[in-house]
Amino acid sequence: MGCMNSKSVRKFPAREDSLDLAAETAFTVNEVEALFVLFRSISNSIVNDGLLSKEEFQLAIFKNKKKDNIFANRIFDLFDVKKLGVVDFEDFVRSLNVFHPNASLKDKIAFSFRLYDLHNTGFIERPEVKEMLIALLFESDMKLADDVIETILDKTFVEADLKQDGKIDTEEWETFVKRNPSVLKIMTLPYLRDITISFPSFIFNSTNVERVDETSTRL
Amino acid sequence: MESKPHVLMHRYELGRLLGQGTFGKVYYARSTITNHSVAIKVIDKDKVMKTGQAEQIKREISVMRLARHPNIIQLFEVLANKNKIYFVIECAKGGELFNKVAKGKLKEDVAHKYFKQLINAVDYCHSRGVYHRDIKPENILLDENGNLKVSDFGLSALVDSKRQDGLLHTPCGTPAYVAPEVIKRKGYDGTKADIWSCGIVLFVLLAGYLPFHDPNLIEMYRKISKAELKCPNWFPQEVCELLGMMLNPNPDTRIPISTIRENCWFKKGPNIKNKRPVVENSTVSSSSTVLSDQNDCDDIAAEANGESVVPLSINAFDIISRSVGFDLSRFFDESFKKKEARFSSRLPANVIISKLEDIAKQLRMKIKKKAAGLLKLESLNEGRKGVLSIDAEIFEVIPCFHMVEVKKSNGDTLEYQKILKEDIRPSLHDIVWVWQSDQQLQSQQSEQHQHTDDQQQQQPQS
Repeated sequence: MGCMNSKSVRKFPAREDSLDLAAETAFTVNEVEALFVLFRSISNSIVNDGLLSKEEFQLAIFKNKKKDNIFANRIFDLFDVKKLGVVDFEDFVRSLNVFHPNASLKDKIAFSFRLYDLHNTGFIERPEVKEMLIALLFESDMKLADDVIETILDKTFVEADLKQDGKIDTEEWETFVKRNPSVLKIMTLPYLRDITISFPSFIFNSTNVERVDETSTRL
Repeated sequence: MESKPHVLMHRYELGRLLGQGTFGKVYYARSTITNHSVAIKVIDKDKVMKTGQAEQIKREISVMRLARHPNIIQLFEVLANKNKIYFVIECAKGGELFNKVAKGKLKEDVAHKYFKQLINAVDYCHSRGVYHRDIKPENILLDENGNLKVSDFGLSALVDSKRQDGLLHTPCGTPAYVAPEVIKRKGYDGTKADIWSCGIVLFVLLAGYLPFHDPNLIEMYRKISKAELKCPNWFPQEVCELLGMMLNPNPDTRIPISTIRENCWFKKGPNIKNKRPVVENSTVSSSSTVLSDQNDCDDIAAEANGESVVPLSINAFDIISRSVGFDLSRFFDESFKKKEARFSSRLPANVIISKLEDIAKQLRMKIKKKAAGLLKLESLNEGRKGVLSIDAEIFEVIPCFHMVEVKKSNGDTLEYQKILKEDIRPSLHDIVWVWQSDQQLQSQQSEQHQHTDDQQQQQPQS
């Protein structure tokens, strides 16, 4: 896609690129253009190359580039679809699409499963959950005894690991999150509804032309 | 043959013309997705660029984004194509307040209602660093339920419009509603200028005419500067006193909004029957719960039986998902002052609940117990964005380890943050193990200073 290589990415996305992204996501053409304003500001915060690095991603979340966080790293890894260590605008939009209030529950469940499948084994395994739980408790400065952590894990796996094989597969995960919808709360960003108001400077660069083919999947 | 309605971006069916402004027209429209009525302000991009008003348009969007309040016209979204910019805004079907006043003065109770809503809206704007600068009945609309909606932020100023003297310097607004200090073209305080305009609006609502008017503009300016107020004999004495303080020609001694809120006429409800019940005791006991639904009845029954509210049990994934690292809302919301706060406690649920009940008593808030560890604390007085309501939800991790989420469910975020910081957090001190967000952000803030230092070192030496 024309606007996606690093040389031209600093320019506003070409009309065809915005159209394509709008056609395959819950975003409209204008929302894609507004997302570009956001992407440009966070992807040029350290290196002005029009690509989003892990440091820039962390700087956007934590407001400092040195903060190393297992959870932010994990989200970045999933955004980095091409596994190049950087995220381009196209992948940024497609990944954020999962967090759209109108995105399908199926997509949210699938993304959240991959989020917790730290070692990409196709299963959420008990050691992975323990690793994340300890990391969360550490970042919150809560020190729990190991037996307490094991009790929390026992309680969770009794409910989620229906096959009792010490790991959670995609089917078990779907059943589990449908019974515990609060787990998916992080998978929806209400802010994405207001994207054109949050980053309004797109209005002066918009190449949008009113035509029938500009309908996004949301409509 | 009937012409096919024009559909904008396949999403809004444009209807009749509602009005015309500096940069374009405003149309009535209907969303083809939700079927809701909206208004669409169409702005000519070329005209904006040629007149160098791009920043003004961006500022109007920023202001309307900041000013989310039930008595302020809401901006839903912004659309654009090569030639035009479209503001999709809330449609106030009741028309301009001006049309009501044009027919004659309003009854005191109606004027009181509108004035109270106007002050709430203006106070909310000021708390966000926004000054309207053009408050007049033509810019005050009504919805289908007769609620007031402030519109037209085209002239509004943000805090960063101030010069080093802390004052605004652009004369804006409509002469009859403009404060004397604005006319004098000296620096002026946006909050004080808006209060003057609100005073003029109140006078017009109750009198049906302007307090300082003259066909000769110079003469009108002189009258405004002198501010010799003559109230009609049908004005209640307390209104005359309030207007005297609002239409004080000296902005330094003009009444502030906080004092207007304490004014007896402002506070008194014109319709006594509809007033909220006032609790006579200075403290509000947890048993003075208003029964509003079956849950409340069950809760009171549960208390009578000596049962406690059982908190929801949460799992490892619920805990993990609370990490700041998973919070992508930080891309969009730069102020980290979230609407929720979270703490953990190593005390049993009943101890946490009784502590929250004590806090509600201290704050003179009504407390409702809901099912599954949810407590609702509700203010007895209306704030600048309605009644402040706070939810405290208790989650059990294991029997003696609980997580508690405190969040605003209604009212003004700034009022909530103030009460959280000054009252709730200090009172919870003895039951809190860790305030989660504090710890998560602590290391990042100390590193943030380092990041700022790095940036300063990278600056070329002058």
